[in-house]
Amino acid sequence: MNFANPQIQTEDLPNIKEAVLKPISKTYLKIITLNKLAFYSLILSAVFGLKFFIKKDDFQNNFWFVFIGVILICIINFIISILAFQKRKYAIRAHDVIYAKGLIVHSMITVPISRIQHVEESRSWLARSFGLATLKIFTAGESGSDLSINGLPHLEAIQIKDIISAKVNGKD
Amino acid sequence: MEKIDFSKAMRQSSKGIIVIFVFNTVKFFKKFFVLFIAFGVSILKSKSIGNVTPTMLILATIGVLIVILVFAILKYLNFKFYLSEDDFHLATGIINKDNTIIPKSKIQNVYIKQNFLQQIINVVSVKIETAGDKKSEIEISALDKPTALFLKEQLFTKKAVESEEKASIEKRDVFFSVSPKRLLLEGVSQNHFKSFLLITTFVFGLYTELEEYLKELNLKERVEGVVKLDEATILNLLITNAIIVIAVVLVSLLFSVIKTFIINFNLEVVEHQKTVEINKGLFNKVSLSLTPSRIQNLVVTTNRVKQYLGLHALSVKQAMVNAKQQKNFNIVALEKVQLNYLINKLLSNYTEDQGEIKKPSRYYMRISALEMMVFLLIINGLSIAVFGLEMLWINVVFIPLTVLYVHFAYKKAYYRISDNFITIGSGVIDTTTNILEIHKIQSVKIKQTIFQKPKSIASLVIYTASKSVTIPYVSKPDAISIYNLLLYKVESQDRDWM
Repeated sequence: MNFANPQIQTEDLPNIKEAVLKPISKTYLKIITLNKLAFYSLILSAVFGLKFFIKKDDFQNNFWFVFIGVILICIINFIISILAFQKRKYAIRAHDVIYAKGLIVHSMITVPISRIQHVEESRSWLARSFGLATLKIFTAGESGSDLSINGLPHLEAIQIKDIISAKVNGKD
Repeated sequence: MEKIDFSKAMRQSSKGIIVIFVFNTVKFFKKFFVLFIAFGVSILKSKSIGNVTPTMLILATIGVLIVILVFAILKYLNFKFYLSEDDFHLATGIINKDNTIIPKSKIQNVYIKQNFLQQIINVVSVKIETAGDKKSEIEISALDKPTALFLKEQLFTKKAVESEEKASIEKRDVFFSVSPKRLLLEGVSQNHFKSFLLITTFVFGLYTELEEYLKELNLKERVEGVVKLDEATILNLLITNAIIVIAVVLVSLLFSVIKTFIINFNLEVVEHQKTVEINKGLFNKVSLSLTPSRIQNLVVTTNRVKQYLGLHALSVKQAMVNAKQQKNFNIVALEKVQLNYLINKLLSNYTEDQGEIKKPSRYYMRISALEMMVFLLIINGLSIAVFGLEMLWINVVFIPLTVLYVHFAYKKAYYRISDNFITIGSGVIDTTTNILEIHKIQSVKIKQTIFQKPKSIASLVIYTASKSVTIPYVSKPDAISIYNLLLYKVESQDRDWM
């Protein structure tokens, strides 16, 4: 019988720490900024709208405090999302795809290529105008186990997609 | 049993008209329920609205019923199916004709169900599930039982393995059937906390409503009573509250027992050569089969009382099964021996003592203590805001409870990784054991908050095709090495997950 059962040394296994994670395109920061600015202006105009609807004195007198409070929250949120931007990193290894993100809750997910059901490359019009693309990787697992890597340079996204597709199809 | 020839296009049993008719009628009335109530009440009050009299309304209802009946007959006449060598063909539609062809190899599950009406007229419905989304489900709503069983058998029979499959079906071996006594015990020993909370909030809502009503009735005495708060009133209040609590407990007990009985009536586990079949239900009889290759996770649930009584529940999570069906793959009231046997049948080579048991980091205790503290603060804040400072006594009850909660949550948490399996234990009141096969993992995730970073603590989330399980709060180096090991195993073994 041709069967061997060598012991596995956990230290010798391919280590996730040794994978060099690549940051996503810097241009994507512009998209984040634009999206965030649009969102903040919506909120601030809503706050301003309240000024005209609520005529109570309590509210009118303290309006500027409320306004400054909201602006402060927006600024903090913005700083966090810029810091979190630097945490968005990805890597493709021979057998799996790695994606890490998150500042407050940092997570790193790895999907073995043999478990990928299909790959998709999609671009919003904003991403198109910056020459970026989003790579979506679907598994058969729960929705939480699907990957979507934002802010890849378009060419690179297509390349990765082709590499993964070739590997996935090669299996069958 | 006579052989039924499925190769010619056939209709379902003519009783199907009744099933379709009743089903559509119920659906129709459900849709316009509010309208009917509003209409009915106003007609009862004023005898007529505009020119509509009660007789006209009854006539209209009869008219609608006739239309539904005609539709049911047409639907029945236009519903035809047949089997070819490799495919199942179905033609439906009165005006828009639909032709569905399902290759036998793509059929994931065939369920046989029987609701209350179907039990009365003695037919069953057959549901065919494919791997696609919900729309691709097919239901034949009325077939007599031998035909349905034969159809099911035919659907699973491929040309090559015909003889083998036949043999396995003849060898029908009832492995486990539940007695009413055990079902009763199962119902009584359930975790009543959920139903208790549900009913408590309901009763509490009713009680406060009623109280307000009473207040309006005799405001003066009421106010005086509250201000004086003499011993008699306090005693009264305590007694009423105690009675209410006891009543709620009894009701929730009854609720659980009845629910358990209805769902699991005549639960039966039948063992075939390769698959395992579950039959159960009082009003809705269901018959399901489990295929080991499709199983992704096993969840065993029990609690202190149940363990003592020898009651274990096994829930089987399969891939490609919709959420509603998923609930049915639940076998209750199993003895420990039966449970182990069944687990072994579903997952080959699983034994309980493989691999080393490891505990999460102590951090788990701190974080759950912190969570409980927040919970206590909220409870206290609310009760002080609503009832005043004297409600602080509730902490006498709540603080020990939270301490117990933290203690048990940590005590019951463990994980164990063996060559082929991961076992994760969790639970507070219940004891839950999650088992999954390593080669069925879809992806792995490591999670760490910025508060955990200085302490070097992280959590692992393991995804399979039906569920995700978490190994909470282990040390970062451990988490990384588990992460590496799992990925290595999945990627190097090249085994299919389904």
